[in-house]
Amino acid sequence: MTTTAESRDTRVPVTVLTGFLGSGKTTLLNRILTEHHGMRIAVIENEFGEVGIDDALVLDAEEEIFEMNNGCICCTVRGDLIRILGALMRRREKFDHILIETTGLADPAPVAQTFFMDDEIAAQLRLDAIVTLVDTAHVLQHLDEVKPEGVENEAVEQIAFADRVVLNKTDLADEETIGHVIRRVRAINSGVRVIPAQHARIDLQQVLDVGAFDLERVLADDPSFLTDTEHQHDATVTSVGIDLPGELDEDKLNPWLGTLLRTKGVDIFRSKGILAIAGAPKQYVFQGVHMLLDGEFGRDWRDGEERRNRLVFIGRNLDREELELGFAACLATAGAVA
Amino acid sequence: MPGHGGGGRVSTAVEAPTVWDIAVDDAPVSLSARGDLVAVAGAEGTVRVLDAAMGAETVSLELPGGALSVRLAPDAGHLAATGPMGYALWRRTGGRTTVRESGAWSAAAAWADPERVAIASGRRALVLDTDGEELWRTDPAASTVTDLAWMRQGRRLAVAAYGAVHGHERHTPKPVVTYPYVGSHLALAVAPTGRWICSGNQDASIHIWRIRDAGDLTMSGYPEKISRLAFDDSGFWLAADGAPDITVWDFSGKGPEGTAPRSLRCHETITALAWRPGAGGHLASGGDDGTVALWYATAGRAQQRLRPARELTGDGAAVAALAWAGPHLLIAAYRNGRVRAYGVPSRAAL
Repeated sequence: MTTTAESRDTRVPVTVLTGFLGSGKTTLLNRILTEHHGMRIAVIENEFGEVGIDDALVLDAEEEIFEMNNGCICCTVRGDLIRILGALMRRREKFDHILIETTGLADPAPVAQTFFMDDEIAAQLRLDAIVTLVDTAHVLQHLDEVKPEGVENEAVEQIAFADRVVLNKTDLADEETIGHVIRRVRAINSGVRVIPAQHARIDLQQVLDVGAFDLERVLADDPSFLTDTEHQHDATVTSVGIDLPGELDEDKLNPWLGTLLRTKGVDIFRSKGILAIAGAPKQYVFQGVHMLLDGEFGRDWRDGEERRNRLVFIGRNLDREELELGFAACLATAGAVA
Repeated sequence: MPGHGGGGRVSTAVEAPTVWDIAVDDAPVSLSARGDLVAVAGAEGTVRVLDAAMGAETVSLELPGGALSVRLAPDAGHLAATGPMGYALWRRTGGRTTVRESGAWSAAAAWADPERVAIASGRRALVLDTDGEELWRTDPAASTVTDLAWMRQGRRLAVAAYGAVHGHERHTPKPVVTYPYVGSHLALAVAPTGRWICSGNQDASIHIWRIRDAGDLTMSGYPEKISRLAFDDSGFWLAADGAPDITVWDFSGKGPEGTAPRSLRCHETITALAWRPGAGGHLASGGDDGTVALWYATAGRAQQRLRPARELTGDGAAVAALAWAGPHLLIAAYRNGRVRAYGVPSRAAL
């Protein structure tokens, strides 16, 4: 086997750290900055922390959320990040990694959408992963907090958007609570990788440069993403995973997915999948945040590999049956005699 | 066809004579040329003031926290540099530098006249005298201020931020006029005719207001955000980025409503636009690929796609900024730190 000359993504990876006040974001940040990994890191802080390390550039920012006039009502971006990241990329000194620490109350959607919506940023930076820290002993009370009509529960959103959940301060919680928290996290975001930790002590390889937003790697490292979670029938934010063998008719898939995201995109926080398109030798890989979708052809289907479709939706009030039926109707053989 | 083609079809790659060529120890982000001076600001905060004729450095100053923009006063007697952590003023006579590390994001500066400068500072604009004393300030805008421009011969200040462009006058912190448009306004251009004010937007559109009655118009359908907008000296032509093609809109007569722009095709990504002084419709543009193109930007008809009159190829480094030091000298700053002055001897031709 020889390595093919694949175009390597040379864009600078960006990790977004979310989590409530007290979940250990600053501790993790300091750990990342002081560990001898040899990387030059820039940090953008939305919360005034105690971070100040010689080797890192630390920039403070105040959250500025901008609506986009593109007919997509949930489409907001972070003006502060566009501005700061833009200025950062004009410097001569090159960074190996950028960390964005959001406030405990931040909505991760505008942060993620910034990387989809701004071409200048998308050309130079790639969103690597959203890492959410939780204080194991206290997260359930945040998740269970009943918010007034129309107000989001930020803790639930931060779990729903996460690619990695760091279950911090496990030393301060009993086994039963830990188990309960893990089940609860998976009920919201079934595929997410959960990393238990104390004092935010984790293997940094589990959170940095993991490629969770890398279309080539979507799902590949999350075999558990289809774990069906039926523990929490009452939870409004859940995951719906679909695994269906066969090939899809592009002319059916596009309108279905387009209509779905247009009409339900407000409630669908994240979507991702690897699909088999009839007639295409390569896997179709996509990744979405609310109404925005980014897709491309990935690797070739291998000889003898079963053509199948795996996708997951994470969101509010998802109708599993409707999603399954709708998706199944996109199969090339659907409604026809095979 | 533009040009005179003296020796028949030889080569279009006629190099403009390089008048000078220097290197600065920073990545340039902004250029300003006024009178006999050229100022270059680098991303890390180095601001150099050069003599336009020779490129010799006359002074350099440091803006802690980096630089975003630099603007010389119209008489080249002062300079304002702005950056993510504050701003600096420099006085030519006596060479005094005043640095204000305000901690607020200063995106832009605009001189009303040789004595007064507006500085974006966080969500406000400050109007300062040349000693840096504050004359007046605006109320906070909805977001960090992105750009500034003077209207009515320096009596009214237009401030761009999220959601609207506001017009402010002295002693009235509240805006005297509001041009609303939901979205993030990134760049401002006011026509020298005093008839139009335009903003380039994050949502890939240009928003246009007729100053007389605030009648508005949106030019949408650009593939990318509009970060650069510029009127020529006549005020009849507006050049904009937002696509691989530069669009040039005709603002003469009733304005661009219902018309199509000329498209200027040379770069993949536009990084700089600068009209040559005068009303000849000569435009310089720079690209990410390092090319500087010179255009008869108003030639031909509406909707026509134009090709450059000339291309100046650098050494491959992206063009960071362009500025004309008078009609005969085009200054180009490149991301790798090179700053070059190209001679353009003929007033009528490029």
